[in-house]
This record gives sequence, structure tokens and C-alpha cells, in this order.
Amino acid sequence: MTVATVLEPKMPKCWRQETKPHKFCPGCGHGDILKALGTAIDELGIQDRVVFGCDIGCSLLSWDLFNCDSIQTHHGRTTPVMTGVKRARPDRICIAYMGDGGGYAIGSQHLVNAASRNEKILVIVANNVQYGMTGGQMAPTTLPGMKTETSPYGRDPESTGNPTLGPEMVAAITPDSAYVARGTMANLRQLTQMFKKALQNQIDGNGFSFVEALSACPTNWRTNAAKTWEFVEKEMTKYFKVGELKAPAKKEGQ
Amino acid sequence: MTLVDLDVVEPFYTLRPIKRELEAKGMTVIAWETRDTMGLGEAGTLIRGDMLWSLHREGDIVLDIGYGVEGSKTLNLLHGVGEQKDLRINAVINASRPMTASVDDIIEHVRALGRVDALINNTHLADETDIALIREGARLVSEAAQVLNLPVEATAADEKFRGSLTEDDVLGQPIRFLTRYMPRTFW
Amino acid sequence: MADKPIQGEKRMFMTGNEVCAYAALAANVDVMYGYPITPQNEIMHYWTRLAPKHNRTFLQTEDEISAGFTTCGGVMSGKRCFTATAGPGNTLMQEAMSMAEMMRIPAVFIIQQRGGPSTATVIYSQQEVTMTCFGANGEGLRVVYSTSSHQELFDYTIKSFNVAWKYRFPTFVLGDGYQAKMRESVTIYDPEARGIQMVDTYPLVGLPGMPGVDRDPAHLRNTYNTEEELYEVVKDLVDAYEKMAPEIVEHSTMECDDADVVILCHGIVSRAAIEAVRNLRAAGVKAGFFRPITLRPFAKDALRPIAEKAKKLLIVESSQGQFAKIVTDALYGLTTPMETIFKPGLGITSDEIVNKVKAMI
Repeated sequence: MTVATVLEPKMPKCWRQETKPHKFCPGCGHGDILKALGTAIDELGIQDRVVFGCDIGCSLLSWDLFNCDSIQTHHGRTTPVMTGVKRARPDRICIAYMGDGGGYAIGSQHLVNAASRNEKILVIVANNVQYGMTGGQMAPTTLPGMKTETSPYGRDPESTGNPTLGPEMVAAITPDSAYVARGTMANLRQLTQMFKKALQNQIDGNGFSFVEALSACPTNWRTNAAKTWEFVEKEMTKYFKVGELKAPAKKEGQ
Repeated sequence: MTLVDLDVVEPFYTLRPIKRELEAKGMTVIAWETRDTMGLGEAGTLIRGDMLWSLHREGDIVLDIGYGVEGSKTLNLLHGVGEQKDLRINAVINASRPMTASVDDIIEHVRALGRVDALINNTHLADETDIALIREGARLVSEAAQVLNLPVEATAADEKFRGSLTEDDVLGQPIRFLTRYMPRTFW
Repeated sequence: MADKPIQGEKRMFMTGNEVCAYAALAANVDVMYGYPITPQNEIMHYWTRLAPKHNRTFLQTEDEISAGFTTCGGVMSGKRCFTATAGPGNTLMQEAMSMAEMMRIPAVFIIQQRGGPSTATVIYSQQEVTMTCFGANGEGLRVVYSTSSHQELFDYTIKSFNVAWKYRFPTFVLGDGYQAKMRESVTIYDPEARGIQMVDTYPLVGLPGMPGVDRDPAHLRNTYNTEEELYEVVKDLVDAYEKMAPEIVEHSTMECDDADVVILCHGIVSRAAIEAVRNLRAAGVKAGFFRPITLRPFAKDALRPIAEKAKKLLIVESSQGQFAKIVTDALYGLTTPMETIFKPGLGITSDEIVNKVKAMI
């Protein structure tokens, strides 16, 4: 092994070299989450079968990230577009990638219905507790008391409810053949395993797969590296419990 | 001299369109090139590593961190901001903006910003600005500064007032005459 | 807690979005409903900061479909309510807007146009003219003000609430990303200080008294059974709209009396056109300018004699003929030659207009 190969940043094979470095801010969770996804795609050897869909919001910057066929769709509509692809081409591995606004606000009806129909696609929601795209507004996942552009005096659960628990909701409305988990950018090894199981669940034709990934937005949180990690690891996990909620593979004793 | 575009509050007023012009004048400008961006306004305002490390450069560094409370918090993102002895944070006040139009409003606004070392009176109404308006701004900013126990660093005024506006007009504050580039910097 | 958001009047330096939020406050608006979309976000940002200080409220909904319908619900409860959106959000909101047309719901919508089709850009265009004027399944029974400056954004936002509640048609302020984000000077005022009385609002549901005993219940619907029944309903809507039209239609003109070429445009493009007319007149070219302020209803009666008298017409817009369709519809039968500058999603300068007019004569 030469020194040069050791120093080369480790990039999943399915990432597109020509579009690197990617445009996510330093410390942004998207890069890490998509690296875990890329590793899972590599390890399963499915790069040529993947159709990747991304939403509006910072997730759209992944539109040319992979050497996979990709569609950047409308805000909240990535889930139905990927459902449409899958229904027309069941041999494709369809991944819908979005933020918490796309998943739990504007696209929530699609998430609920795709999950209820047990669509054989993988939906990934990057949860960074606010809207990064339009300047840091409140999201369904914003934590109580957190100040955002549209909750300048802090989120008040009395008037705006509590943070949306996406995987818990999906787990409640899917059959046992669905895979549902919440991972975090703070544990990429675990997140990669979750993506692998979720994709395998789709490959096996079992049913709906859903992974929420806790993510960071230091730019809109205005936090330095230490504060960012503290927030992801300590604050967010108080509301958003990391772990698998449904894992059909386990039941089959695999 | 290094200029750093760290304004993630209002990305529409940006150094991008005049980046090359300023660089031709010998300044270092740390900002995106518009052609290198993607999904402006849909993908958020993106920050790059060289922006976050900008305080480690030699010479004078001017940071545009955007306005208001969210703007001032942008400083948290900079590496080494806590150890910088030379860092000076000036709150630029335009008393023609509705949220800083009275002494009380200016005080409330500046207090919300966190650390501020001095105020600058930049009261103007673009092309409609006259000396009476600048004078009134100097008075309001000065009164607010007294309550806040902060110095007034200067009054800023368009270059066209050189010769007609004097320090006597603005309570003895130093005057910084400005050449305005920003009207050309939309998006 | 200030009793009035704006005392008297004052000259201020503001962004267009900020102007809209202050105008809604000054107009005694009770509730804003909205969903984040660029370039209208700062209307929500300023509203959420200011509203609690004046006992007003805000709800961030899950999307624009919901923002449109929650606005309808608030209005039907007798409150002055509005929402603001753009582009794909305007598309989603068409559903609620059509219900507002059918049920005479005086909701106010502020639209800051961005580039299209689809998500496109967040910056600027005039590509939401057709959708804002005639969107959804309906007959375009809407009032649409196309503004060209911050002053107009302030004036017409206030006026929109009064027109909506006086005539009970959904009312739109059609701006664009440039107007939303630019900063310029504007006089903001308390409407009362200018002698503007806010039209009273009243509930359509939640009325006092026991339904069925003290009063008939309010049974509101937008579904009908037969073609004939629907026809009667829509005919009544159209009649009411046409009766209102002459009372509210607005336009402005400049140097049209002896003009060889009349420039037709709306919204922010008018600024370039006005400058172009000044420059052309200074160069001895007889140019004039006609601008509808209400795109719906359209100032057809004012435009036709001007268009008939002119030697040539030039339509200028930042879209591919959406405004031109409205104009040509109004001018049907006239034979005045017409040329166009269509620049979808792109700003237009006075020089471009000047050069085009010079080439036409």
C-alpha cells in the first residue's frame, strides 16, 4: 500500500468523481449520510440498478452526487415519483431522499400512503430539525423551545405541537414486512448497516423501507463543530431514539 | 484586505456579482462564483471551508455576516473566533429601517445581537438621503449608544456628501464616506 | 405593546417582503398562514416577529395546499387573513383559490413570482400571470393587482383586504422576486391617518345564536347537482364580478395621446418602460406607455381607444406571452400592428425597449 492511497479521501465507488468535492457546507450531515448510503450500495453491488430521487431543499444538491440515474423532483414529491418508477420497473432499486420538511410536512401524505401500500421503495429522511433551504424556518421536527425564522420566540408545543416522530409513525402503519429504522450521522457504521438492510428488504421484494437519519446543519444552527456534535448526539436523541423499529430480516433468522 | 461573504441571512445582496471587480482592485474576496452554485435559494446558502477559516488570514479581514440576531450568530461558525483579540464587532444601524427607527428600537435590536463593540450610524434612504436625515440618524444612534454604554465608531455617508457633511452635523462622530458598490450586487 | 403598528406615516428603507408584512399589520390583519418558499419567506419572518407584539397570530402549515385552505377557514370565521407564496406554492394553492372563487371567500394572497416552469429558479419572472389570473378550474373570478414598486406593494396590500371584503372575491397582490428582495424607500402609514377606513369583516360560520332556533344554520357548499343549477350559480358569480369590475379596475398611462408606439407592460417591467419612454421622447421619438394595475379585471375599455389610435404596439414581459394573451383578447378586432419582447424569467432593461421601439419606427 502506498502513502498516496492512504491519504486519498475514501469515497464510495458509486459516487461520481467529476462532481466532487460536493457542495454541502462543512459539517453538513448530508455528505456523511450519502456516504453511508453509497457504501451500502457498493457493498450490495446494485449501483447499476439504483434510481435515485431527491427532493427540494439541501437534499437536491445530491442530484449529481452518484454515478446512478437520478431525478430531482418537486418539493415533497420524491416519494410518489420513485413509487411511479418502481411500479413501472420493479427490477429497479428506488431510493427517495429528502429532508424533514419534504418527508413530514409537504410530502407527509405521500409518506403515509406509500407506507400504507407497502411500496417496495426506500425512503430516507435526513432530519436536521429545520428548513435549511429557505433560511432556517421551523420544521415538523423542530425541538420545543428552539428558535427558528418562523418561531423567533422559540417553538411552543402548545400552538405548534411536538416534533414529528417519523419512523414511529411509519412503523405503526406498515405491515411486518417493512423495514423501519432511525440512524444518525454520529454512527455511520450503524447507519450503513441500516441502509443495507433497508435496500435488501427492497431487493427481496418484502415491502416498504424507511430510514430517518439524524443530521446536522451547523450553518443554520450557527454552531461550531463541538456544539454541533453535542446537539446531534445529546439534544436530538432525547426526542429521536436511534435504533431499528421494524426489521423483517431478523424474524426470518438471517 | 480580505472580504468574506458570510451573509446567510440575505443571500440576494451578495459580493458574487462584483467579486472580480473587487479582486482587480487588489482585494481577496472569499465568496462563491455564481456559476459554481446550484439551486440558489432552494438549497440554502452554502458555506465553504475557506470562509470558516478566514480569521486565520493575514491582514485586515472584513466579514459580512448578515443582519440581525441570526446574522450575529453566524460568527459562531468561524474557527478561532473566541481567541481573536483583534476582532471588532460593529453594529451598523440605519434608522430608516423600521426595526431600528427609534432609540428604544435600536437599544432592543443591539441588545439582542449579543457581543457588540461599537455602533456605526449608516442612516440613509438610498438616493433620497439628505443631510437632515443623516443628522437625525446620528442623534438616534448616539442616544442609543449612551444607554448601551458603547462608542459610536463613525457615521457613514455617500461620497456625494463630502464637502457638505461635516463632523459638526453628526455630533463630532468621524465620517466615513462610502462609494456604493452594493446597488449592483443583487443575486 | 404598541396599540398601532404604524403611527401616522413615515419614510422607510425596506425590502418588498418587509413592506408586505407591515402593510398587513397596518391593515389590521388577524392571521397569516403560510409555508416556506423563496422568494416570499421574509413576509413570514417579519410577520412572526411583529405579530405577537400586536396580538396577531401565525400558523406555519404543512404545505401550500394547507396554507390556502387554512386561510379560507380563517376568513370564513370573519377574520382578516392572508397567505403568501410563489411558483410551485402558487400551483398548489390553486385548489383553495378556486374554492374562494366559488364560495365568495374574501381571502388575500400575496404572490412573489419566481422562475418557472416547475421549481426552476427562486429569483424572478412574470410567469405566474396566467395561473394567478385564471388558475384552477374556474372562470378567473379574482382581483389581481400587479405592483411595480414598494409603495404599490404597501398601498395595494392594504387595498386588497378592503376590495376582498367589500366585493367578496379572492384578491391577489402579484409581485415578483425582485420586488420581494430589493430595498427601496417607501412611505408606510396607518391607513386611518390617510382617511382609509378598513372595511368591516364578518363571519360566514360560527354565527351567534342557536342554529335552527334563533337563526337558520349556515350551510355552505361548493358542490352542485345539475348542469342547470351550476350554470345559475356561475352566472350569478360572473354577474357580480362584472358589476364590480368598473368600480375597481385600474391602469396608468404616460404620453399616449400622440404616441406612434405604445408600450404595454405590467408590474416591475413598467419601470423600464417608463424610463424608455422618457429616453425616447428626449430623442424625439413619440412613445407612450400603458400599464394595467389590475390584471383582473382588465382595463379593456381604457386600452382599446389608445391601441386604436397608436401606429404600433409593443408588448414587453418577462414571460412567453402570458400578458400578451390578456392584451390580445382585450383588443380583438383591432388591426394595430403589434410586436413583442418576451423574456421568460429574465429582467428587461430600458435600453432593450428603446432599441426595439427605434427599430419599429
